Parts: sequence; structure tokens; C-alpha cells
Amino acid sequence: MNISPEKSTWFLFVQGDLNVFSAIFRGYYPILHNYGLKISENTSITEDCLQDFFLYLYENRENLGEVNNVKSYLFVSFRRAMFKKLKKERIFTDFEEDFEFSKNFEFSPEEIAIQKEFTSLQKQTLVFILNDLSVREKEVVYLKYYSNLKTNDISDVMGISYQSVLNTLQKAFIKLRATTEKELIEAILKN
Amino acid sequence: MKETSNPFLEKLLNDSSFRNWANNNNKNDIAFWNSWIENNPDKLDIVFTAKSIVVGISFNQKLVGKDHVNDKLNAVLNEIHLKNIRSLSKPKNKSNLKVYGIVAFLALALLVITFVFNDFSSNNVTYKTGFGETLNLKLSDGTLVVLNGNSEISYEKDSPRNVTLRGEAYFKVKPIYSTHAKFWVNTSDLKVEVHGTQFNVSSRKNKTDVLLDEGSIKLLLKNGENKQMKPGEFVSYSDQKITHEKINKALKYSSWRDGTYIFNNTPLVEVMKYVEDTYGFSSEFKDSKIKELIISGGIPNENLNICLSAIQKSSGIDITVEDDKLIISLTNNH
Repeated sequence: MNISPEKSTWFLFVQGDLNVFSAIFRGYYPILHNYGLKISENTSITEDCLQDFFLYLYENRENLGEVNNVKSYLFVSFRRAMFKKLKKERIFTDFEEDFEFSKNFEFSPEEIAIQKEFTSLQKQTLVFILNDLSVREKEVVYLKYYSNLKTNDISDVMGISYQSVLNTLQKAFIKLRATTEKELIEAILKN
Repeated sequence: MKETSNPFLEKLLNDSSFRNWANNNNKNDIAFWNSWIENNPDKLDIVFTAKSIVVGISFNQKLVGKDHVNDKLNAVLNEIHLKNIRSLSKPKNKSNLKVYGIVAFLALALLVITFVFNDFSSNNVTYKTGFGETLNLKLSDGTLVVLNGNSEISYEKDSPRNVTLRGEAYFKVKPIYSTHAKFWVNTSDLKVEVHGTQFNVSSRKNKTDVLLDEGSIKLLLKNGENKQMKPGEFVSYSDQKITHEKINKALKYSSWRDGTYIFNNTPLVEVMKYVEDTYGFSSEFKDSKIKELIISGGIPNENLNICLSAIQKSSGIDITVEDDKLIISLTNNH
């Protein structure tokens, strides 16, 4: 049987190897931190949650069940932890339910790299279109292109079907294209 | 929510030649898909949606910096460490309570010694042992040190990982995983550089011996050379002279920690050097032939009289104490 490096890393982590734990922490903390910020828009909630999350992982390492893909496992369970934390926080604040998540997954112009496809579009315009997507569409776009997760990992993370991820992507890009279609087709037909 | 499946979109996304076309990668694929599109104008919309999904949006990830991550990692590691200690110190049975007593005693002894040797106005921390005394220490970074008799260790308060040693000590250095901070032991002859490991350093009379039990260390010798050591190796260095050898497993140089010196085919003259260093005596051999007598076995080192009688028994010699001198001679009836 082949043992993937992922599996052996996780095996050593479960054994309690603090070096491996530290390597996992260093490797995933930055992208999870970013993910937490996108979900909550709140640095202290995100950092508190990350701290508890990694401590929980270490202390319960023997009871975490089988982990085949470390990255998607961490995204799944950190997302769950964030929502739990936000639910708790909500008791102490009087956010309106609808308002609560509507601002999540906001992208900023600095986060947009120069686009092959959208050269004719200003970054500002692209950000505007992206931020106008539904929260779910934004999260799918975020997980796929910002965090570089595979489509089936996204379905695990968000707890929706593979088909649903594809449909959401499709919807998101139809919206994006609706705004950019003309320029896009012109550019492509020139090739 | 009802999901409408779109097998054609899925097919396109999973088709490597389509992905090549979308990414403008392969001439054949580009030609193929361009002509396919011309022949299937009704699929134009879904083809371009699929293309934009493949190409996607490239983001500049805005991520937190390394220092921030290391700070947070340290916080979590400390928490783990604290919880480990707490779970270890839960008394489960009587023998644990006994350990408690010993720990409390050591802590008290430590306090007294710190009080005596720690000059509050200075930035220096010094621990000293008298002849025949050993001392267990825990430095502020978590490193464990066992200081042998007639030895002294000191460091600056704000750099507990850079210590100076005179005499002999056993170190169990606590690794700091997040920063890989080093630990240094300075003697008059060399500097030992460590990440996290267990080793013995003995620096007596312009000679330093280093024995490595675990991990890996680097010696920065006074003559400017560096030497890397592997576990089980023993280095002896004095004034340009160096020996570097793999030692016999049975020979435990650092066994003095447990209250016993273990000698393995060691000449008496070497054994007596240990006694001299630990108890502050000088020794005088009545007959130089005795120096080469071979000693094997464990010699208790916590009490001079027991120590001497053990040596006498195992080698068949007489040792008498005169002031601060040990007079060694052959037993008359030998």
C-alpha cells in the first residue's frame, strides 16, 4: 500500500510530534487566518478561534477520525469552528440575522491580480462585480481561486454537493460574464 | 434546493484538451476547440462559461506575516506545554506525592542557592555547587541542568540560552520549535551550540569534555574550528589538542547524575581525577605503577568516604586522607 506524504504527516501529528504540529500550524495558519477574516470580518474573533482550533486539534488528535486530505480537513473543521464561534458571539451582540453574513467575503482591489481574461476591466470594476455575488457564490469563488481548493474539496468544506458547487460557479461566472461578455468574446475571437 | 445537473459543463471542465484551449496552451487543442465552436454555435454560452471557470480569477493572497504566525504558534505550544504539566502533576497515587516532596525540596534548595548567589543589582544569574554536591536546575527557558560537584553555571538574566560553565554539568536543552532558537554552553576552551538535545559537558583544568546523548550539536573550538557531533560521540579538547571518538555504550560519562560514576577499563589515574574535581582534593601516588591500575564498575559519588572505599575495594589499593590530599598506595597485604 502506498502511503502519501499527507498521510504520514498526519500520522506523525496524531503520534504527538510537536515538530509536525508546528509545521502544519505554520503551513496552514496564514490561509485559515484569511479564511476566518473573510467569514467574520473580525480579527480578534478569527485569531481567538484559530488559537482554540489548533489547541483542540492537538488535544483531540487521536479522536479526529481518518484524514485523507489535510488541507480540506482543516478548512472543513475550521469553518465549522468559526460559525460556532460567531453563533456564540451573536448572543452578546444585537446583529440582525439577515444583515449578519451579508457583508462576508468582501474582496478588496489589492487582492485582485492582473487578469488574463479581464485586462480591459479595471480591478475596481471586477471587485464591484465579485462583491455583488451572493455570499455562497463568493465563498465558492474564494475557496476555488483564492485558497486553491479542488471542486470536490469545496463541496466537503461547504457541505453542499459537487453538482451544487459547479452550479454555483456557473451562476457566478454567468453574472461576471454578463458584465464583461462583449469585451471577452472580442478578445477571444482575436486569438 | 433543487439541483439541476449540467453534465455538459462538467464534461468540459474535466476534459484536459478543453482546459488546454481555455488556458491557450496546446496548438492542436486550440485548433480543435476553435473549429468545434464554429460548428456548435448553440453551445457558445456554456463553452465560455466553462472557459471562465477554468481560467478563474487570480488573486493576490493577503496573508499574515511569519512573525505573527510564530507568535501565535508559541502561544499554542506554551498552552500545550502547560496542559501537559498540569495533567502530569495530578496526584494519582502515593508515589506521586513522594515525587512532590522531592520537587518541593529541590525548589526550596534552588531558592536558597539563587538567593545566595544571585546578586540582585546585577544582571547575572549564577548557580554554584560545593564539593560532592549535585544540583538540579531548570532554567527559565525550560532547559534542565544537573550541575555536578564543585561546578558553577552562570548566564545573563535576559539570555538564559547562553550559559557559561566551569566544572561539569548535564544538559537537557528544551527545543523551541517555532524559532529554532539555539542554546550555547561556553567553557574556557570551546562553545557548544545546540538546538535541543541531551549532553554532558565537563570543563576542568583547561580541558573540556563533551558527550552527546541525543540530537546533534556543534562545537565552536577556541582555535576557530567547528566540529559537528553525533549521538554517542565523545570529544575532548584542550589547547589545540582534540580527540573525537565514538564511545562504548556501556561507558556512561554522564552517569554521575544518578549518583554513580561508571568506569569501564579506566586507569586509576583518570578515576582519581574525577574524585579530585568533584571533591576538591589533590592526589598523590606513592607508586607510579598504581596509576595504570584498571578500574571497572560503578563508584558512588555522593559521599567521599563511600566513594573512596568503593575505589579501594575494586582496585586493591589504600587511600588515606591528609588535609586536602589523597595519598594512594598499594595495600600492604596485596
